[in-house]
Amino acid sequence: MIHLTSVSKQYTADSVGLADVDLSIEAGEFVSIVGQSGTGKTTLIKLLIAEEKPTSGQIEIGGWDISRIRQSDVPLLRRQIGVIFQDFKLLPKKTVRENVAFALQVAGEPHKRIKDIVPRVLEIVGLGPKMERYPHQLSGGEQQRVVIARSLVHRPKIIVADEPTGNLDSINTQEIMEILKKINEFGTTIVLVTHNRDIVNQLRKRVVVLQDGKIISDEQHGKYHLSATAV
Amino acid sequence: MTIFVLVLMLLSINTLLFLRLVTNEATTSIRDQIDVSFYLSPEATASEIDEVYTYIASLPEVTQATFLSQEEVLANFRILYHDNENILASLEELTENPLGATIVVKTKDPADYVTVINDLNVPEYETIVESKTFTDTQGAIQKIDIITTNVEHFSFALTVFFAIISFLIIFNTIRVAIYTQRIEISIKKLVGATNWFVRGPYVVESVVFSVISVGIAMSLAYTSTGFLDQYLGVVLGDPQFLTNYYVSHILSLAGIQFGIVFFLTLISSMLAMRRYLRT
Repeated sequence: MIHLTSVSKQYTADSVGLADVDLSIEAGEFVSIVGQSGTGKTTLIKLLIAEEKPTSGQIEIGGWDISRIRQSDVPLLRRQIGVIFQDFKLLPKKTVRENVAFALQVAGEPHKRIKDIVPRVLEIVGLGPKMERYPHQLSGGEQQRVVIARSLVHRPKIIVADEPTGNLDSINTQEIMEILKKINEFGTTIVLVTHNRDIVNQLRKRVVVLQDGKIISDEQHGKYHLSATAV
Repeated sequence: MTIFVLVLMLLSINTLLFLRLVTNEATTSIRDQIDVSFYLSPEATASEIDEVYTYIASLPEVTQATFLSQEEVLANFRILYHDNENILASLEELTENPLGATIVVKTKDPADYVTVINDLNVPEYETIVESKTFTDTQGAIQKIDIITTNVEHFSFALTVFFAIISFLIIFNTIRVAIYTQRIEISIKKLVGATNWFVRGPYVVESVVFSVISVGIAMSLAYTSTGFLDQYLGVVLGDPQFLTNYYVSHILSLAGIQFGIVFFLTLISSMLAMRRYLRT
């Protein structure tokens, strides 16, 4: 599903995002990427959604080499990957329904189909009754559920979540993680970047540890530990 | 703010248009009043006069050649000096008409008068053409040419100046507006919007800006034509010169101004947005 081969990202001479990273994530996996700040987690996310291009190496998603992706193809890639951010990134002047519908509008989906799908997806994340509210009228947990609905609405095969619970309390964190686990159970690949030790330990899924832009640990049923010494 | 600046720019353009129109009308009016008169010898025979007239009328530069017979010239002379008893008394003393026939010539361009004069400076016409009024009008023609050229240069420089200033103000106004929307733009890009999908609302906004600003500016300009005509009518001889021009050219004026504003706002927003569309 996702294959990184010798991927490096160097911003300046002394600023390395990723250094010679090899990583393969198969379809349906739930992978947690952990590491301290500045270890390359966000760089990895940016490379996966083509917000950045690697300095060297190859990135393949679903058989598509996106290492040298053309600017005009980036929207096509992003419509196939659901992205969830810590700061939600919702359009403040659009309602919950409009925010979710927007992800389909940009893909040129017919109006009738959008009208049909959006309420159903919002029901799944428990926001059916609040679909006409604006983001600022929702709690942090609810806003993140809107983001999940938006990332789900075009049925992506991959969801990339960058610190999705970073701004949430423990109850909302649990709710969001439950939703992500359910999405994963239906076959969607989840790449989760997090600092939250409890989440990673409860998941008992694959854990990849990054340090100084390199993978220092990759365990199939791992736990959150940053002092690993070997890959 | 954007619409306000656009209206100011359009008013500047309209002002320049009015200035140019009035200048052109004034110079055309003065040019029309300029002609060259060839005074023919009273001794010239009818066939000689006819030959000269035919020759002048056939010159490519000449747009109009009016022949005034000796009698007509004398009648005009009497009218001109009707209040000068001495001159009229002198005429009565003479038994013959002392004035020769005259050919009044108008050309396409005042500069052509020199060519026509030169064409008649040939030995065979020396005895027929007694004198020319060329020297009297040459200075006026040159002055008009200089004034017209200077006004045109000044108008052009002013137009370019206003265009640059307007572009900078509009570009920065739109840039600030887009800066405040940069997060929204990045979110749209993140969920897979193409650059044209993101630009779409700004194109619509440019159309709206253009329609509103052209509407306001043209309304103000039209109102001012009525006011200005009160003063210009006296000079130009047409009491509704500007108003008539504005009404008869309303579609082309609206089209050109819409085109300018739409192009300017569209280019400004495209340039201002460019950096946010890269991610």
